[in-house]
Amino acid sequence: MANATTSLKVVSGRRRMSPAQRRQNLYGYLFLTPWLIGFFGLFIGPGLYSFYLSFTKYDVISAPIFVATRNYVDMFTKDDLFWSSLARTGYYAIVSVPLSVFGSMFLAILLNSKLRGITIFRTLFFMPSLVPLVASVILFKILLNSDFGLVNAGLRGLGIQDPPGWFADSRWSIPSLILVRLWGSLGGTQMIIFLAGLQGIPTELYDAASIDGAGAWQRTRHVTIPLLTPTIFFNTVLGVIGALQTFAAAFIATEGGPNFSTWFFALHIWKQAFDYFNMGYAAALAWFFALVIVALTLVQMRLSRRMVFYMGE
Amino acid sequence: MAMMPPSTPGTPTVAVAPQAIIIEPGSTSSIRQRRTGGKILSYALLTFAGLFFAIPLLWTISSSLQTWQELRSYVPHFLPEMPQWNNYIQVFTLVPFARWMLNSLTIVLINIPGTILTATLTAYAFARFNFVGKNVWFVLLLSTMMIPAIVTFIPQYLLFFNLKFIDTYIPLTIGSWLGGSAFMVFLLRQFIMTIPRELDEAAIVDGANPLRILFSVIMPLMKPALITVAILQFLADWNDFFGPFIYINTMLKYTAAVGLRTFQTMALEITDPRDHLLMAGAAIMTIPVLILFAVAQRYFVSGVVMSGLKL
Repeated sequence: MANATTSLKVVSGRRRMSPAQRRQNLYGYLFLTPWLIGFFGLFIGPGLYSFYLSFTKYDVISAPIFVATRNYVDMFTKDDLFWSSLARTGYYAIVSVPLSVFGSMFLAILLNSKLRGITIFRTLFFMPSLVPLVASVILFKILLNSDFGLVNAGLRGLGIQDPPGWFADSRWSIPSLILVRLWGSLGGTQMIIFLAGLQGIPTELYDAASIDGAGAWQRTRHVTIPLLTPTIFFNTVLGVIGALQTFAAAFIATEGGPNFSTWFFALHIWKQAFDYFNMGYAAALAWFFALVIVALTLVQMRLSRRMVFYMGE
Repeated sequence: MAMMPPSTPGTPTVAVAPQAIIIEPGSTSSIRQRRTGGKILSYALLTFAGLFFAIPLLWTISSSLQTWQELRSYVPHFLPEMPQWNNYIQVFTLVPFARWMLNSLTIVLINIPGTILTATLTAYAFARFNFVGKNVWFVLLLSTMMIPAIVTFIPQYLLFFNLKFIDTYIPLTIGSWLGGSAFMVFLLRQFIMTIPRELDEAAIVDGANPLRILFSVIMPLMKPALITVAILQFLADWNDFFGPFIYINTMLKYTAAVGLRTFQTMALEITDPRDHLLMAGAAIMTIPVLILFAVAQRYFVSGVVMSGLKL
């Protein structure tokens, strides 16, 4: 503040900047510096470099060779795993996201009552989300073991003679992964977000609905769910982004097997990059994948304008 | 308001009643019946869901205390014949599990101060200063959350490879000292924006510079948000699999997550099935998270709520 008069004279260029504005710029960018270094060094820089690599053939050992659009052409025409891994990823997302979003919402609605002992249930539902992913995958591999697993022992006990092979069976491996993820996420962040959303619904609305003769189901259907649409939307968008990128659980449990049945698109990129060292091709796959995810997110945002109800608008 | 039926105080009960959808407002007996039915149904559903979550947790503990013969028997033993506490010792003697946990902890302890310092600085810039280009930078910050990690993972790996950072913890920690994750910056910015600007202005009158204001006025008030960020950072590092998996080659430098996964298949002096030991390892790896949760429960919840609702 003391050097306001002096700094007035140092105005450069055509536009005059007030000393206050200069101060804002100085401190704003000063405090932003660590993030700016990270943003350019770890995000924009590498992102642009991978865009360049996507037009090359690069095996890390020798220098990248420019191949123009060949990687992009090859993925659509020559790669057997491209379409199948894309379809598998879509299947996983289409099944797991609705189950997970509506499952969490259902649990939150159940927990949002003034019943005795409800905090015990809330803590219990939340606990599996604290189990590290690697630990929960290993736990479920043992639980779902086709011969000695607890689940199949239970199913045999119920009279099912030929229970599924779960992770060992290519028809059941994706459902097994979905089960692991549902166990580890239904009661976690999503459910808490729904609970917070439920607590934001004004009680007068329920009172009014009751006066109009609405029962519990009708109140849920016509008050709770419409007012939760912003939360449903938020969880769905994040859920889709997460589900499409999934492969950690598949990698730890089955490494894409059996018979490529859990070979998701992100795993395909990973294998191309770090097992086969086809860095250029992997970069092309990654860029294609980023475009798909961004496009899907934008489509969802478009759709949300008609389907999401915001209070006070 | 006097006409309000007695069934609608406070938080609504959203239990689905099996009978009667139409109720006369005022017929208390039918409401009471309906409520009891709803309660029973609610408890039934809660218990069903509770079992779904509890059985795998309980099975982790039970199976980690069994012998491998018990665990591999055709008819499962719900409780170990004789608790094999030795399993837990074996995890530490067969593989360097203590070392792996310590490595995970080291990464956590490097990253938490980094995120707290640099993400707060970034958030402070966005929340309090009107610099040129602010909105553009903010949109760019948020858009980084949408791009799949794998897109930048490949070139980042090449970058660290060329810088000879492979098999060090630098690739796993540098990000947290350069602003941390976009998500945490966003969370902290939201929090700073709730702190009244009058406090800053009073400090300016007292002659404090912006950095001084941040450290002695704003940060003390941010304690709940900072604890939340520390917890989120802990969870991110403790659970991270691919980072350490790709950057760390030396077995003694593994983190607990990578170590546990490797333990499934690595060559050891014993050749028996090791499911019971893997279960013990899974339990050991989860314990620190549970302790943290027990200590800081309310920050877990507030963090999620803060981050989730306003995006």
